[in-house]
Amino acid sequence: MRTAIRESILFFFLIFLAAATHAQQPGYKYFKLEKDNKAVKINTLFKTSQGYIYTGTDNGVYRFDGERYTRINFDNPDYTDTATALFEDRGKRIWVGFRSGRIAHIINKRLVYYNPEEGTPKKKITAFLQDRENNIWFASNGEGIYYIKDRHIYLVNEENGLSDPNISSMLLTDNGDVLAGSDQGINLCSLRNGNVVVSVIGPRNGLPDYIVTSISPAGNNTYWIGLQDKGFCLYNHNNKTITVPPASQNWKYGQVNSLLQSHDMLWIGTNDQGLFKYEWQNRVLDTLAGAGAGLTIQDLLRDKQGNIWMASSQHGLVRTNGGVLKLVPIPGSPVFEHVHAILSAGNGDTWLNDYNNDVIRVYLRDGKYQAQKIRIPALNEKTDITSLYQDPNGNIWVGSMGKGLFILNPATNQQRPFHENPVFRDASILSISGKDDTLYVSSLEGSMSIGISPENTDISKTYRFFNYDNTSTGTNYIYNIFKDSRGRTWFATDGNGLTLLQQGSFSYFTKKDNLKDDHIYSITEDKQGHIWFSTASAGIYRYDGKKFTNYGVAEGLSDLNISVLKTDKAGNIIIVHKLGLDILNPVTGDVSYLNANQGISKINAEDLGAVTQDRFGRVMVSTTDGILTFSSPANSLQKPTAVIESVQLFLDDIADDRPAVFSHDENNFTFNYTGLYYSDPEQVYYEYKLEGLDSSWVITRDRSKNFPKLEPGTYTFRIRASLNRNFRNADEAAYSFVIKKAFYRQAWFIILCAALVTALLYWYIKSREAEVKKLERLRQEKVQFQFEVLRNQVNPHFLFNSFNTLISTIEDDPKMAVEYVEQLSDFFRNIVNYRDKEIISLKEETELLGIYYFLQQKRHGNNIELRNHLTEQQKSQYFIPPLTLQLLVENAIKHNAISKETRLVIELRITDDEYLQVANNINMRMSKQEGAGMGLQNIVNRYTLLTSKRVQINNDGKNFIVSLPLLKN
Amino acid sequence: MIAMRRYTLILVSLFTFSCVRAQVYGTNNGSISFSSDAPLELIRASSNEMKGRVDMSKKIFAFSIRIGSFNGFNSPLQKEHFNENYMESVQFPNASFSGRIIEDIDLTKDGSYTVRAKGNLTIHGVTQERIIKSDLVVKDGKVSLRSNFTVLLSEHNILIPKVVHEKLASEIKVEVKAELSAS
Repeated sequence: MRTAIRESILFFFLIFLAAATHAQQPGYKYFKLEKDNKAVKINTLFKTSQGYIYTGTDNGVYRFDGERYTRINFDNPDYTDTATALFEDRGKRIWVGFRSGRIAHIINKRLVYYNPEEGTPKKKITAFLQDRENNIWFASNGEGIYYIKDRHIYLVNEENGLSDPNISSMLLTDNGDVLAGSDQGINLCSLRNGNVVVSVIGPRNGLPDYIVTSISPAGNNTYWIGLQDKGFCLYNHNNKTITVPPASQNWKYGQVNSLLQSHDMLWIGTNDQGLFKYEWQNRVLDTLAGAGAGLTIQDLLRDKQGNIWMASSQHGLVRTNGGVLKLVPIPGSPVFEHVHAILSAGNGDTWLNDYNNDVIRVYLRDGKYQAQKIRIPALNEKTDITSLYQDPNGNIWVGSMGKGLFILNPATNQQRPFHENPVFRDASILSISGKDDTLYVSSLEGSMSIGISPENTDISKTYRFFNYDNTSTGTNYIYNIFKDSRGRTWFATDGNGLTLLQQGSFSYFTKKDNLKDDHIYSITEDKQGHIWFSTASAGIYRYDGKKFTNYGVAEGLSDLNISVLKTDKAGNIIIVHKLGLDILNPVTGDVSYLNANQGISKINAEDLGAVTQDRFGRVMVSTTDGILTFSSPANSLQKPTAVIESVQLFLDDIADDRPAVFSHDENNFTFNYTGLYYSDPEQVYYEYKLEGLDSSWVITRDRSKNFPKLEPGTYTFRIRASLNRNFRNADEAAYSFVIKKAFYRQAWFIILCAALVTALLYWYIKSREAEVKKLERLRQEKVQFQFEVLRNQVNPHFLFNSFNTLISTIEDDPKMAVEYVEQLSDFFRNIVNYRDKEIISLKEETELLGIYYFLQQKRHGNNIELRNHLTEQQKSQYFIPPLTLQLLVENAIKHNAISKETRLVIELRITDDEYLQVANNINMRMSKQEGAGMGLQNIVNRYTLLTSKRVQINNDGKNFIVSLPLLKN
Repeated sequence: MIAMRRYTLILVSLFTFSCVRAQVYGTNNGSISFSSDAPLELIRASSNEMKGRVDMSKKIFAFSIRIGSFNGFNSPLQKEHFNENYMESVQFPNASFSGRIIEDIDLTKDGSYTVRAKGNLTIHGVTQERIIKSDLVVKDGKVSLRSNFTVLLSEHNILIPKVVHEKLASEIKVEVKAELSAS
């Protein structure tokens, strides 16, 4: 005991450095909005149910997705108006109020003016709300408050007791009243039995200022009131009282334009001094000087990820991470590259080492951060401090490289080396950890546990310790010792995997247990009691008591070069690597990221001691810019929201209210989608599937997908958005639609066609049958004709006449008689030749006729005359059924009396309309030849079967003319 | 109720002292017409007996019409029903609208203005607060006024018997035209 006292060295360098209360705010990101190279002033912000941020600007309305502004044009593109208020009602209708006093809705992504019968105000619209009866209220700066109830618009103004008509802001209280800030205070309006009752809270009631600029909810029916000159105050609507927070009592930062409470912070947007943060529970006003100074902040908004957005007049939208990351103020600007170990003590002090390996203690006194430098004489710039730890007695343990352990008592400023354990006297300490009254120290020389008893508050008292046997733990090279909630002790070894000490016995998990890497750096435990540990090169593992689950890049980790794992207060596993923090939800497996895009810069991932947790469980890391505290944002969604921005048909937007049923040729679809993730929009991956076409999901980073020439069918386009390639819990948006079949592929049409085809077939068969019958008839006609012709030729008259002629000729002119017989036989031979033919050439027919005429002429002499006007060309050009002409001439001879006085003249000629006329003069015989008319009728019938032209028979009493249609082959 | 009493006062004072103030414009023969466009019947009627006073500098006004003065119904019987059954014009002989112009503009200068007036519309003895939009043309000491608005019968306790439901619209379109001159 005495030696301990003697050995404790009182050696102090006390250097006090003052730091300004304002801490730097990392991660201001500017999203400029410009038109014609001039900044567009943003007046108001609104977060829609779909997830977008809408901005009301001097150039109308823009939709913002975290990266890009998309202007919402008026239905008439020439219009422009300064938007001053935005609102979305419960029916998801967006209301836009303008400086002109007009009001518009967004319909099909276009602004359409609202034109009620009552007209709209002429003064700037400043706010909207929807009351519990779903009436829409809107406030104007100059005319008072309007509300739309049933079919009418009503005005609340001074006549109803309103303090003044200049309303700057308005909101619905938790109990359904309307609070309106005006130039004369706060107006409380309530609608009772159709009448509005107004009362005013003004300076008489304790309001520090007349002019109210903004009202914002503070929870439990209390409201933050922004004032024109006197800062801000809190109004309690339950008892109608005003409280002025101390931070606002001597307000010197000008006009407050907007207030926003987020968790335990109140964000204050001012007119010309930028953004302030008020931690209202600690009553600390943080002026956040530097980042947003000089900024005119018109409005504030918190996105789903917990970021705070400022609508600025100069620089468009400005994003901060909403206090998620905070730099710990360290006076004296140390060089953070030299910081190897940090510690946040139970009283909120921050401990770290400097380049010289002095220990620095940073503490807050009288609203100022102070630094105290504590020199450990044994240490110099070569003997790095690797770890800092505070034991339950409040004493600080310092681990060094090569000089062992030291103990500091911050209360008494005493210090001494830990010399009780000879193994650790000049050990190289890798880590100090602990749980309850036990400390665990690991070093290159081995590891031990130290019991901390209350009497050790006095550091001169001797500590009890226990050395772990190196053969039991597997190695003497141990990075980290972790005691879990079930009392198990875990050792992270270098090269020997994970060692578990449970109820006095050791077990080992190495590559044989399917660990890809036996170099374990850091161990933590989640709220479900699972053990998580990081490896040198294979990512992290979860051990649920049965098996190890590996998490790598495929599971969403952004970097495998991991130093430390911690479990924060919210239960997330915080994975520290050089480029930032991966935040893993151990239940869902979702991973979100904090990196340079959110204002985190190079993290010291080499030193295991450069990561710690404060008394609130917040993880602290040392970076080149300083020590950052990370607090999980409350009530936030750390994953993207999938949104289908628009669906296009042949690259034209489909109206929102159009039913999703399309015709067969409306088959070229384009889907534009996005994953809204305001912390880091570039991080978002997409996965899509068109159900009805694709069977699997396709991962992409494109924000548009086109499907040309879709077949008719029922489809659903699904899009998922994730921060990595793991889509297990990803948000999904979908659009279902139907492409109808073309009419010619629909059932009714096909049935109709089938019926038609059947009918046609039936008709064809029927007509074919008729055709066959017709041919049959033609054949019959022909046979009958042949019979007729033959009968005529073997008619005894013909033969008798012919023989008479022959007899007389034999006597007179035997030579001629021979010729006559030759002709007669020619005639009969031709009849026999032609009788089977359907048609013969006109030439052949006229030759036959010539023979017949020769025979007849021998009998009748010059009393008969055949005048043939046909040319050779016509004869060979046209065709005719055989024996037609012969029959007609025969008829003419048969029916007419032929004598010297009554000559028979037969003429053959072709008319212009291609008829062959056979004409003869008429000298009717007294007695009729039998079989008369049969032959002519037969000709007519045969022609009907051969051509559509009709045989014409003309008898005017003088001339008998038969016109035969000429046939072409 | 206070507001109503105030308007009544305005009305009385305007009619009484109208001749004293130069900024007061008035008419005794303003035209007012209404139409009821029901599925089965279109009813129109009008009157030229609307009286009104507007104080252009104070922007307060009052208008009144005798219900019995409406003419032009589809039949004399219809007029009788209008007066006796629907409007009960013996009991409630007049309809009125009085109040104040919302717009902060100078109506004493020549020009065309679209203004909105907040006031009390009394029909069938029932007073409703209404905002009514009007077009005003001020020129050479004359004001021409034109206004269109809708009256919901239900808001003024005008009951439509079931049988004539298809013949009488539940909302009546009203058109007002008047030439006011300084008085």
